Amino acid sequence: MLKVENLTKTYPNGTQALKNVSFEVKDGEFLAVIGLSGSGKSTLLRCINRLIEPTSGKIYWDGQDVTALPISEMRKIRRQIGMVFQQFNLVKRSSVLTNVLSGRLGYVNTLSSSMHLFASADRAKALASLEQVGLANKAHVRADSLSGGQQQRVGIARALMQDPKLILADEPVASLDPVLAHSILKYLEQLNKERGITVLCSLHFLDLVHRYATSAIALKDGELVFQGLPKQIDDAQFKAIYGQEAERVSVI
Amino acid sequence: MTISEKTFKSSPNSAPSPFFSLIVPGLGQFLQKRRKRGILIFLTTLTLTLLIQWSFGHQAVGKVNPGGVTTSWLWLPLILFWVWNVLDARAFVSKGTASILPGLLLAAIIIYVIAWQVTGVKLNRLVERFNDARTVATKLLNPDVITISVQGQDKICAWQCLSTYLGDRLAGRQPEGLIRLSENFLNLIGRIKLVPASKWQVMLGLAESGAKTNQFVAGTLIETIAMGLMATIFSTIIAIPVSFFAAHNIMSRLPGGTALYYIIRGILNAVRAVDTIIWGIIIITWVGLGSFAGVMALTIHSVAALAKLFSEEIEHIDAGPVEAVTATGANLIQTIGHAVVPQIVPSFLAYSLLRWDINMRMATVVGFVAGGGIGFMVVETVRQGGYQQYGTILWAVAVVIIIVDYISAKWREAILSDQPQREEDPKQLRAGILRWAFYGILGAIAFIYCWNLAEISLRSMLHPGPNFVQNIVDFVSIDLTPTVLQVVVQQMLVTIFQAMLATTLGALLALPFSFLAAKNLTGRSLLSAWLYYLARGVLNILRSIEALLYVVIFVFWVGIGPFAGMLALAVTSFALIGKLFSEAIENIDDGPIEAVTATGANRLQMISYAVLPQIVPPFISYLIYQWDINVRMATIIGFAGGGGIGLTLTTFFGSLQYHKAGTVVAFIVIVVALMDFASAKLRQELV
Repeated sequence: MLKVENLTKTYPNGTQALKNVSFEVKDGEFLAVIGLSGSGKSTLLRCINRLIEPTSGKIYWDGQDVTALPISEMRKIRRQIGMVFQQFNLVKRSSVLTNVLSGRLGYVNTLSSSMHLFASADRAKALASLEQVGLANKAHVRADSLSGGQQQRVGIARALMQDPKLILADEPVASLDPVLAHSILKYLEQLNKERGITVLCSLHFLDLVHRYATSAIALKDGELVFQGLPKQIDDAQFKAIYGQEAERVSVI
Repeated sequence: MTISEKTFKSSPNSAPSPFFSLIVPGLGQFLQKRRKRGILIFLTTLTLTLLIQWSFGHQAVGKVNPGGVTTSWLWLPLILFWVWNVLDARAFVSKGTASILPGLLLAAIIIYVIAWQVTGVKLNRLVERFNDARTVATKLLNPDVITISVQGQDKICAWQCLSTYLGDRLAGRQPEGLIRLSENFLNLIGRIKLVPASKWQVMLGLAESGAKTNQFVAGTLIETIAMGLMATIFSTIIAIPVSFFAAHNIMSRLPGGTALYYIIRGILNAVRAVDTIIWGIIIITWVGLGSFAGVMALTIHSVAALAKLFSEEIEHIDAGPVEAVTATGANLIQTIGHAVVPQIVPSFLAYSLLRWDINMRMATVVGFVAGGGIGFMVVETVRQGGYQQYGTILWAVAVVIIIVDYISAKWREAILSDQPQREEDPKQLRAGILRWAFYGILGAIAFIYCWNLAEISLRSMLHPGPNFVQNIVDFVSIDLTPTVLQVVVQQMLVTIFQAMLATTLGALLALPFSFLAAKNLTGRSLLSAWLYYLARGVLNILRSIEALLYVVIFVFWVGIGPFAGMLALAVTSFALIGKLFSEAIENIDDGPIEAVTATGANRLQMISYAVLPQIVPPFISYLIYQWDINVRMATIIGFAGGGGIGLTLTTFFGSLQYHKAGTVVAFIVIVVALMDFASAKLRQELV
């Protein structure tokens, strides 16, 4: 279970990205985070695994306050939290397999892994993860030779290597052709339903939120403006979140 | 260039391939369908064998005497390399994976041992003469800019003396002595002098013919700037028409054009492979010593370089606008004016500016052989052991080159960035015309001034020296007698090894330094930002001075020979590699770092998985590039005592053996062109 309490983040330049945000995510939920660009979605997700240090507030993961942990302890928490990025964040020149294996780094010995040596069990696991996202035959090609959709699936396979209990997905489909959005989100949905992995996913299209999320929160200028079920977001709510000018658009 | 053997499947005939590799290195790999690797192993073995043989005969490299047999111990690593090649073939049959590292390591040992010996590296000299070197360094850091006269005695007033003087002044005390700019500095910059009135002063009625007036007489630094400027203007004007003949998309439309295209491209490549300095030594047999010879040498090399870049630009022109303008019913002239010219003008200008930067650098050294400019002053100064004066020259060159580099870079950036044209308001238009007229007149005056300063004399081109034709005939009739060939090949090998060692040494020094000079690493906090500026400053200053100017210092330190040349090249390599490496580090994508950190990896793992894969390939690519540059530079390093093929060339020229000098130049053209081609291919494969 993830519980966020009064989370605030102020950047050194004075920008208030998050203001007193509090919410809860139950185990096994697929929580959509919506809001305009710059509303604080990315900051929120990165505060949870402390890629960004929160200014104040608390984050409880399985009852433990992660904001108070020293960084060495935090790395152990990070192992349980997979992350998927908008720009995929693969090392383009490295092979797909190496990229997937890097998801295992939190578990293995520093010295041998720094020399790119992995146990055969880990290699088998990496191939199995690639199998899961339908890319088993691409293990030895360079990451940048894949298409955007394929790269994002490698990103998911990398997160799977961590045996995560939670996946943070930061706009996982925003850089992809809209027709590919479903293929990526279906993989996340599958992991959520079959393995019970909790998913926190920021999304742009409301359509996708209705289709995949079990619950939703909305941010506006760093403040939590909505919390509830996806179907509760009606036209009035929609205008409140996205502003009066906004129009609904749909993807496929 | 990673070879992922796993994807290959063993073919049925691969079982005996280790045996084939035992007989002919690389044959087994070749038969295993790993063609590239097989050929590479075969060629490496062949080259290493020849090198060991040659270096043993030439300088008894690796001489050992076990049991009465005199031989080179380098045969041992070669045998091991052979063994590795067999094991590699076998590993492929059984497991499918084999490491390339042992083979690379063995080949590197052999090559570096040979390079070390033939370059004459003597580390003890660095230590033995350290005190003398320190004296010179102190002198270079205390340049002769200010003279102080105390009781009628003139002395150089360097930093310490100057600070005492200024301290006294600020404290209101009467300082001891009087200060003024030194003779040396005035020689560099220029001075007001009473000289016979010039033609235009007489024409304007400001002075009578034959009368003496006070005028500014430019120093060698100004002369050098004029040389670089004139060469850039001339070469741009000449290169534009030439480039059209060297553009494939234009020439292929003319009957017989393709053949002409290849001929012109070939000539341009050959001319470009011969360094400006070597052109200088050839040109002086035509127009004699002086600034004009320097300008001509700079121009010839620049025309070849610019024409190549221009023609590539013409070849890559976007056909879209041409099609669109033609479709509106425009005629040929209109099409060229509206669709072709706007596409090529910005990039032509940018390339000319880049060339201006390069020409300014070369202008500081072309005087070594051609006379004129600052290079000539360097030769004179160093001959008299005036290292404090030399220090002034180096600092002045650094300042001018850094300014030129900055202006050129900013100007290019402004030209190439897509700035929309401003609104054409009639009032602004008039102001614009006035402004352009102002710049035009200013430019014309500067042009005429530089023309006179650089002693441009087209007449002297028509009246070459008495033996000019005979010399050219001699030069072109390349001497191919075995003794000459042997000397040339040997010196060429020394030159290549010199360049390789310099690249290695420069890179080893640059590697840690480049991390300090990367803005994203050290530029973050105020505390470390000064470290960044310091590191960048050091790199920029070192890079602004040509290798030939460093040779002079190292020759004093370790003596004349290839070692001194190698060290000088190492300094320039350090500066350029340091700059390129730090830029590669600055261009790292933060995404993978974030992603790897998010998996729970620690710092070391993060560097190994997210940082190194991003910077190693560009680093290797820059190393190859630098080696390519260093081979070019190493061909001229001998002109100042740095050994190698340059020394051979000056010796042949000095003793008027032009046919032998022709051999040297022909070899340089071949080797430099080959290096250029190979380095471009290799780098293409890396990125």
